[in-house]
Amino acid sequence: MIEGARWRKWVWFYLPLGAFILALLFPFYWMIVTTVRPDGELYRPWNHPLYSPFWTSNPTLDHVKSLLQETLFNTWMLNTMFIAFVATVISLVCGVIAGYALARLTFRWAGILGTAIFVTYLVPQTLLFIPLAEIIRDYRIGDTPWALILTYPTFLIPFCTWLMMGYFKAIPRELEECARIDGAARWQAMLYIIFPIAVPGILSAGIFAFTLSWNEFIYALVFLSSPEQKTVPVGVTSELIRGDVFFWGSLMAGALIGSIPVAVVYSFFVEHYVAGMTGSVKG
Amino acid sequence: MARFTRRKFLQASGAGLAGILASHQAPVLAQQRTVHWIKWNDFVPASDELLRKTMLPEAMKALGIKINLETVNGNDLQPRVTSAIQSGSGPDVFMLFNNHPHIYGASSVDVSDVADAIGKAQGGYYNVAKANTMDGKKVLSVPWAVIGAEIAYRKSWFDEIGLSKFPETWEQYHDAGKKLKAKGRPIGQTLGHTFGDAPTFSYPLLWSFGGKEVDEQGKVALDSKETLESVKFMQAFWKDAHDEGGLAWDDTNNNRAFLSGTISATLNGASIYIETLRKPDQYKTEKNTPMKDDIRHSPLPRGPKGQFGFHLFQSHMVMRYSKNQEAAKEFLKWIHDPKNYERWFVSQKGYSTPPAAMWEKHKMWDEDPVMAPFKIAARLGLSPGYAGPPNRKAAEVLTKYIITDMYAKAVQGMSPQEAVKWAAGEVRQIYSAT
Amino acid sequence: MEAAKPAALQFVSRGPISRALEREGTLAFWLLAPTLLILTVFIAYPFVLGVWLSLSNSTVGEPGHFIGLANFHKIFADSIFRTAAINTFVYTGITTVFKLALGLWLALLLNRHFRGKAWIRAFILLPFIIPTVLSTLAWKWMFDPTFSVFNWLFWKMHIINSRINWLGDPELAMGSIMIVNVWRGVPFYAISLLAGLQTINPDLHEAAAIDGANRWQRFRHVTWPLLLPVTMVVVLFSVIQTFADFQLVYVLTGGGPANATHLFATYAYQIGIGTGLLSEGAAISLAMFPALLLVVVFQLWYIRKVENR
Repeated sequence: MIEGARWRKWVWFYLPLGAFILALLFPFYWMIVTTVRPDGELYRPWNHPLYSPFWTSNPTLDHVKSLLQETLFNTWMLNTMFIAFVATVISLVCGVIAGYALARLTFRWAGILGTAIFVTYLVPQTLLFIPLAEIIRDYRIGDTPWALILTYPTFLIPFCTWLMMGYFKAIPRELEECARIDGAARWQAMLYIIFPIAVPGILSAGIFAFTLSWNEFIYALVFLSSPEQKTVPVGVTSELIRGDVFFWGSLMAGALIGSIPVAVVYSFFVEHYVAGMTGSVKG
Repeated sequence: MARFTRRKFLQASGAGLAGILASHQAPVLAQQRTVHWIKWNDFVPASDELLRKTMLPEAMKALGIKINLETVNGNDLQPRVTSAIQSGSGPDVFMLFNNHPHIYGASSVDVSDVADAIGKAQGGYYNVAKANTMDGKKVLSVPWAVIGAEIAYRKSWFDEIGLSKFPETWEQYHDAGKKLKAKGRPIGQTLGHTFGDAPTFSYPLLWSFGGKEVDEQGKVALDSKETLESVKFMQAFWKDAHDEGGLAWDDTNNNRAFLSGTISATLNGASIYIETLRKPDQYKTEKNTPMKDDIRHSPLPRGPKGQFGFHLFQSHMVMRYSKNQEAAKEFLKWIHDPKNYERWFVSQKGYSTPPAAMWEKHKMWDEDPVMAPFKIAARLGLSPGYAGPPNRKAAEVLTKYIITDMYAKAVQGMSPQEAVKWAAGEVRQIYSAT
Repeated sequence: MEAAKPAALQFVSRGPISRALEREGTLAFWLLAPTLLILTVFIAYPFVLGVWLSLSNSTVGEPGHFIGLANFHKIFADSIFRTAAINTFVYTGITTVFKLALGLWLALLLNRHFRGKAWIRAFILLPFIIPTVLSTLAWKWMFDPTFSVFNWLFWKMHIINSRINWLGDPELAMGSIMIVNVWRGVPFYAISLLAGLQTINPDLHEAAAIDGANRWQRFRHVTWPLLLPVTMVVVLFSVIQTFADFQLVYVLTGGGPANATHLFATYAYQIGIGTGLLSEGAAISLAMFPALLLVVVFQLWYIRKVENR
């Protein structure tokens, strides 16, 4: 409902929107072009007469091949998937039931515990990574995926909990009351009535947790040593810079391919992701 | 808490096994010994290839030990060793730079049996090697090599401004740089936090003006007239002659800049030259001649108080947490055996200088005159902490890049007096802590 | 109510466990137990350990002994620490303002009906979804001193004559990390604010328009106040994340050039893990906490104030 002349529509709407889209998506285009650009073209300085940044006339898959064949990239992908998946499952389980408890049950400690969980979210990983390294060593899970699988829930659970709290609060209490009148135990009402209704919320929380796990860096950087154990973010930044050369072609290939799983998961569940984000923000 | 620990541990190991199988790692056979060796990504890739394809399989046959070689970016070695020590597990043999063994000495295994034998048999270790690996009580690590740092420069460009020989003093170098920068060919130097090219420039610059961190009695002596002179010089030198992007460079940027023809001279190991030898068709000058023919090397210029060099030193530490200490030591003995080490040394083409005197006579040095300056690099080098002993405190000053930062701050606009004062304050704090 | 009862409800098991779980308190306890366990072991306990570390002189491989507040004295006297502290506040403050402004603008744009709306909304979130480290690497390449595409662009447009040193000049480097942070955060703000915008009843806008309010006045008096609760929550989340940011700076500049872009987190990493001085690193990390707490408390208070208005 934009009143006024066509040009107004262009100036106030299409142009700004176009500019935003360009600015937000250009780096990805750049990643793609760099990935397929052969080395000779890649290393031309910017004031070289033949510098042609926006396309290449000889696309090559060499960088992708070298990434997949000469580095442990595939192992890193598997590691990261495994870690993200298990950490997400753990966090969902804990977050869903904790969210239910805080949203639906009345008990003395509800307020305090809710705040306590919020406060733990304030403690950033960059504060904990040094002492956690000692703990990881004492439990002898250093340099294994379990160091991450057990520590990722620390920032995934609070988030899942709030998200689920918001969802549960929106479900009418009558549903449980009816179930209990029909003879269900409290826990049965929770498990068989409420949870199925909250599935969209659980899905949102799960996707969020999955993408957050992929995005985590410092714990993975500090707790994992061996190249075979690394996750994609750590592997790409530490192993694709060899000797004198930043292998930009393979680096961008790694960045691109490394982004795909998250993008795919996200694309299947976009509505849930957005709903989850907005739900958490409103709740 | 104990119950939790055990239960989680059992769960973890059970699932961990599943995880291992899922990631296609073969579990280690009971009889086979393995040693995990971590070193930097060699700037001469041919040597790492030699190790991986030829020498390590030979070691396996000769010793029955499987060597797991891991190479990482040089700047990542320090964080890796800290994480490994903190998590109590990681590589068995760790390559360390310069005087870093002093920092991690508490976590090292005494390797005097290995090092002493090598030193004696190979003509004696150079002072710089001994200083960096021995703390008086034990041998912290086994010396490996010294990477000579020299200035690589474009002969044709220096000829064009009338210099057929490389400038001998800093003043002359400053003049040459001014002329070159005016033609769009500045000098390239990093003043960033990178392990190689930054300290190997800043420390000798300091020493050549007579500055030093600590005097012979161990008192902090950084804030002196001489240090101030060096900082003032660097401030002007940077603006007049350098590529000012160097503040953000790491050890690879100057290589790339030189190879793409945007700088005329830079302090570096021999890797620039060796790279042009490797791919003579790819690296051409602007006149389309092979760049390898236009590169020469020279030591850093002389200052009012002398000519100095600081060359990157490498050694291998056997870690205390390692469960394969004996195998690690055996491997180190094997690889330092002259007939094995020699092959590695030759593949380096002079990029590395061995840490013991006998290798100066090796015929490889006679093959390429461009590499001649590197032969005696190890003999001439001084260590950080000069004029005091190269100990843990000197290592801390080095690893915090205080000397490099002193120059970096000055070229960014801080007054030389303030920069020196700041650096001296930081050094004093380190040396006065217990 | 007409739905068939799930099978489990048909036989009502009233065993002792079920009965015990009827009490809200007990059920709540068991539901919260796993969460509390994980958070205690992996947050509370390390936090205490971190405090202890910062009060000792441990270094890598050498457990130290208690030395009181000496580490804090040392870091407060450290000019690099002070730079890192100031950087963190400046970085958080400026990027939040820009993210909010640009995010709001984008949200207003996306609030209209146009073709491809769903697609665009989906793609817009990409910078936020993709692992930060990977997208930051792309930016690092775009800022590279020798090969930067931006330099080429501005050169071709005759805006510059010589190279812009995105990552090598100390002030420009701060600007560069802020650009990347804003780029990454705008989608999050935009989508969240968009959701908020969509809950505003369009009748309110109509009423205000009838009353003679122009576009700007409608925004100021109708949209903004109703959006405020959502805005504050989004800003709160974002501030927490940005204040503790590590990955972006680590990949883009490593804290350089010459320590000009260090934040609390990257400096703590350099000192603690890079140099092996664990206790100093812990002290730097901890120094972040009071500041963060203050910022968050202030925001929570402000949110409460706004909600009660």
